[in-house]
Amino acid sequence: MNAPVLNEDMRLMNGNHAVAWGVRLAVPDVAPLYPITPQTPILEKLIEFQSQGQFKAELLTPESEHSAMAGCIAASALGARVFTATSSQGLLLMHELLHYAAGARMPIVMFNVNRTPAAPWGFWPDQIDSLSQRDTGWVQLYTENPQDSLDTVIQAFRIAESAGLPVMVNHDAFYVSHSVEPVSLPSADLVQSYLPRQAREIKLDTTIGRSVGAPVDQVQWNRTRREMQIAMAGIADLTVQAGQDWAALTGRKSAPLEFYKTEGAEIVLVTMGSMTGTARDAVDRLRADGVKAGLLKLRLFRPLPLADLRAALARFGTALVLDRNYSPGTGGVLHQEIKAALFGMDDAPGLHGLLAGVGGVSVPVETLEALAREHLGAPTSPDPIWVE
Amino acid sequence: MIEIIILGRGGQGAQTAGNLLAQAFFAMGRQVQTFATYGGARRGTPVMSSLRVDDGPIRLRCNIVQADALLCFDDSLLDADFLALARPGARIVVNSPRTSQDLTGTGPHRIIPVDGRAIARRNDMGKVVNSALLGGFVAALGQPDIDTMCRIIEQSAPARKAENVAACREAHDLMAAIAEEA
Repeated sequence: MNAPVLNEDMRLMNGNHAVAWGVRLAVPDVAPLYPITPQTPILEKLIEFQSQGQFKAELLTPESEHSAMAGCIAASALGARVFTATSSQGLLLMHELLHYAAGARMPIVMFNVNRTPAAPWGFWPDQIDSLSQRDTGWVQLYTENPQDSLDTVIQAFRIAESAGLPVMVNHDAFYVSHSVEPVSLPSADLVQSYLPRQAREIKLDTTIGRSVGAPVDQVQWNRTRREMQIAMAGIADLTVQAGQDWAALTGRKSAPLEFYKTEGAEIVLVTMGSMTGTARDAVDRLRADGVKAGLLKLRLFRPLPLADLRAALARFGTALVLDRNYSPGTGGVLHQEIKAALFGMDDAPGLHGLLAGVGGVSVPVETLEALAREHLGAPTSPDPIWVE
Repeated sequence: MIEIIILGRGGQGAQTAGNLLAQAFFAMGRQVQTFATYGGARRGTPVMSSLRVDDGPIRLRCNIVQADALLCFDDSLLDADFLALARPGARIVVNSPRTSQDLTGTGPHRIIPVDGRAIARRNDMGKVVNSALLGGFVAALGQPDIDTMCRIIEQSAPARKAENVAACREAHDLMAAIAEEA
């Protein structure tokens, strides 16, 4: 999506407060939360809303993120609409229970603020915290600006509750989380009509003798993963539908894959998260100078929208994957995923994996512009390239 | 697009100043984006706030490389790294009791001092300097409109609203007089 056009409904707020507004409007029943920089403004804003009587969810503040996620699972198992938020070390402390939440098919919505994990200590935008959770069974979405974060966290409840899978929405520290800019707030009625309560198939009920997550045999465990695969296979369509229905109400479009000026493009920048905005400006500058550049924004990372991604990338001669993360021993996670996605394609583009912005290093528009010029039609390598 | 950098020490209000300035530009119908970066934020460590102002949507998500205007809350932070962030011809306003001649000795830039501490004290604001510095900065930049700036400060100040506005206006008027002389 593009940055919103200024109108009288706009209010100035940062990305984290936009998330808190989205959560308030989604009316969860329970919100177990533990503070951590740079997520804390989400928690603070929700507490402020609660103190004003505007947020009625049961806010639990346990002693760790692990317990926060345990609280999410228990509340979700009772049929509650549940929200939590975290970042970096906090997400990593939840790791064990991320598998549990997904395996137990709990439609929890979590907002993660992408931040470098220790060591060494840092507070900077880098997506390795959430990307390293890619095998836990959570749906993962990435947003590019505060408006996108507000819209997406609302859509996440629809996706989670329709699929019976937990959904993690991510935005970059500081460049989105602490960036104050105009955001359009939808009305409470609009969000309520968009997010009706759905009947839950898996739910604990004190009047029915039943367990959730009880010991099973090998075949039964195997079956749970086959069922998760079926649920994951439906996520791309659910995300498309969630975006279309939201656009019908607000005029703001979103999709698992989003395109910017890709008509006739010879080179495409592939981005995820905040760098997308800078890449839009880079594309405009390249186009103005006669370079046929375009942008592919990956909004849905897990499950990867494989068929659409293959069809989209077949249209371009060169693709530059920009990774604001680094998986030691391999390279950028998005680069790995896209290399695998292109497997067996005759018309695959020349693919380049660029480690741009790892550790929160600023990536100016001039750098992206120069990278596109440098790699247009250049020979490819499976190895990642560190961007200076 | 106008790009602005504000540098202060944690607790001085550099981030708040960035937000207030953004609100004033926004109230005048401009698009804005402001963000602060800090590490293990604690009082006394440097905090940098960045502000972009434009007529259309702002999509850049990167640091400002060359700012059009800079505001420095503490002249001890006025070093070569900070001055390297200034575009040639940029306006640099610094909170300092020193004279412009003393400060220009540090580099090829024209640096405009505002004695924020003295103005704050005169207006019963103690050590809280950000309203005064905003007034001086707005005068040096020529925008946003000082009345809009004062209105935003009045709406946002948690206490001493009249004193905050008076400090902002005094610094603005002092600076505007100097600008006219120059």
